[in-house]
Amino acid sequence: MGIGIYSTPLSVRQQEDYLKLLEACGLRDEGDADIVALMTEDDRLIACGALAGHTVKQLAVDSEAEGQGAMAAVLSALIAEAYARGVHRLFLCTKPENLSIFRSMGFHTVIETGDAVLLENRKDGLSGFLASIPKYEGVCGAVVCNCDPFTLGHRHLIEYAAAHCDELYVFAVSEKGSMFSPEERLDMIRKGTADLANCHVFESDLYLISRATFPAYFIRDESRADLVKSDLDIELFCKRIAPALNISRRFAGEEPFSPVTRAYNERMKELLPENGISFEEIPRLSEISAGKVRDHIASGEYGKIREMVPESTYEVIQSRTQ
Amino acid sequence: MEIKKTAVAGTLESSDCMVTVEPAAKGLELELESAVIRQYGRQIRKVAMETLKRLGVKKARVSIVDKGALDCTIKARVECAVMRAAEHEGRVNWGGMIR
Repeated sequence: MGIGIYSTPLSVRQQEDYLKLLEACGLRDEGDADIVALMTEDDRLIACGALAGHTVKQLAVDSEAEGQGAMAAVLSALIAEAYARGVHRLFLCTKPENLSIFRSMGFHTVIETGDAVLLENRKDGLSGFLASIPKYEGVCGAVVCNCDPFTLGHRHLIEYAAAHCDELYVFAVSEKGSMFSPEERLDMIRKGTADLANCHVFESDLYLISRATFPAYFIRDESRADLVKSDLDIELFCKRIAPALNISRRFAGEEPFSPVTRAYNERMKELLPENGISFEEIPRLSEISAGKVRDHIASGEYGKIREMVPESTYEVIQSRTQ
Repeated sequence: MEIKKTAVAGTLESSDCMVTVEPAAKGLELELESAVIRQYGRQIRKVAMETLKRLGVKKARVSIVDKGALDCTIKARVECAVMRAAEHEGRVNWGGMIR
């Protein structure tokens, strides 16, 4: 018996065996793995697992090999590899019936929905994040945005939201964007909203729209938008984050382009009010989108960028190209 | 010994334990998860704390996920995690601090 760690893409033979094992265990390859651990016995794949960013996933054991500690061995190998790569905070999503197994392996519940549980390998991960954010009085609202880059459309949304609550939390998605780094995006949002006194900008860390809480958002397989699972992310916001920060309103921009984001907004419309949080979708400023700005950056059409972003964002874009 | 980075040693397999050592601002903090915590929790903590003291670790956050490890295993895993976290691998004083 041996475990190998492989970076993706796997070889054809490995990939075939891997997909077959996942399918036998009722899982599918979501295609976002950075590395895959394969455990073989006499050349036969008996267990597997993968690491995608901070998330351990695709853990599967062949039914004939169950009860021999294969899962523990694969998870151990993935944890060791993650640490070697400097990834110390790990998440894992599983069915509620597997909760006790992973708790005994040092994982702690972040949020549980009816059919899934999100766990992390730190007891004080989420509570530490919440403790790092100041609490405000009055009616508090929240906007979670990627802002890759920060446009006049984001500004419009945030300005509207800030006008409709006493204090507004803006959470900048901390995952690596397709163009700008998390630090650049945080900086752009802070500068672009500096004049709004009741607007407070924070990183979303790994707890709001992250590859751990909402992998579909980052996989961006638009053809599977109907399968988008965003309940963990929304429930985590409703049950853990909003109560801790006294948030009773959430705002988002209308989404005409991305089916994934649209499905997310639709789900928020259902789940937020059930949890006593109002949800408002703000009509988009026509013709402005971060995706278009990225296209214009790629093609060097700076005149068009100017019309879509505030001066502070334009400076960041310019400084990148110099 | 100064803990400079986060490091891990051991596995989650049966009869082993996984030890994570992280830098901390002050003191020694030990978190333990074990199926036999009621029977052996105190003993596991004792072995881990003694090992940390012998290695001269003053400030660290240590987490042990125990899968029924014997004392010698716990000692070895703590030592290994500390050596890695202190970037001390390759110059271990066998028979000195590790004995």
